[in-house]
Amino acid sequence: MAYSEKVVDHYQDPRNVGSFGKEEEGVGTGLVGAPECGDVMKLQIKVENDRIVDAKFKTFGCGSAIASSSLATEWVKGRTLDEAMAIKNTEIVEELSLPPVKIHCSVLAEDAIKAAIKDYQSRTA
Amino acid sequence: MSSFSCEQCEAALQSRLFCFTCNTLQHPPHTLSYFEAVGLPASFALDLKELEAQFQRLVVELHPDFYAAAGRREQHQSELSSSLLNRAVEALRNPVSRAAYLLPQLATRPLDERSLPPGFLEEMFLLQESLDDLLESGSEAEQTQTQQDLQARHAALLAELPQQFAAVEAQPDPEALQHIQTTLNAERYLRRLLERFPHS
Repeated sequence: MAYSEKVVDHYQDPRNVGSFGKEEEGVGTGLVGAPECGDVMKLQIKVENDRIVDAKFKTFGCGSAIASSSLATEWVKGRTLDEAMAIKNTEIVEELSLPPVKIHCSVLAEDAIKAAIKDYQSRTA
Repeated sequence: MSSFSCEQCEAALQSRLFCFTCNTLQHPPHTLSYFEAVGLPASFALDLKELEAQFQRLVVELHPDFYAAAGRREQHQSELSSSLLNRAVEALRNPVSRAAYLLPQLATRPLDERSLPPGFLEEMFLLQESLDDLLESGSEAEQTQTQQDLQARHAALLAELPQQFAAVEAQPDPEALQHIQTTLNAERYLRRLLERFPHS
């Protein structure tokens, strides 16, 4: 199976790789896994005034999982929490032209965004 | 296992794909299970020697080459049955895929397919991160040690399966079934870690 150009681009040049300190102010951390394949994905957001100002990720998985999470960090930056919460995995599938067997990678990225937001909200509540 | 008879001579069938009494290709329903295809009891405690023996016996008889002159229906059936046989043996041969195939059939209600032991995902992430450094700059001895530790842990998970299945096959307790699902989920993460080592 061939990866799409966009997947290859994100895979070779992933955006926003890295991490924030978990306890840093305004940081929310989402850690999710895909039992289908054993991929693990960590996505972190930095929030100021209900808006995501920065995001980082680290993913151990296939090219599609890395590309999905790389794209997710790009997309959440600048969005409000509500806007980021509304990102759907199907948008990631479309943007990266993921084949059906890789749809779970996009689900993982959506789950990671939501988990990071919930973590942020639970820590600031 | 319930008994089925040959559609031609009515002799009892072991595999529902072929009758060895009158040497006739069968036309079983499409929903045939892998165990019914190979003609062995639906249990995790599968005798692998018997599985290979059944495969060898059947693969010859089902081969589409034999049905080239037998009309389209028989040709098509031999292709379907050969393909099913191959998938069945492939899935049943390996304990992990056999467990994954059998588990949902034993479950009396849907299982949570994402369940993991508490703290497991965090631990896997940290292990993955530590492997980055280890495989980049760790000594060979350190790498071997970590690989062996992970292999032992993986083997320990697999070693639990026969007993766990013996229990749920006798009595499908929902909690015990979910526990097996958790074991299988954890297995995949450990396998992914092991795949990062060369020659693993």
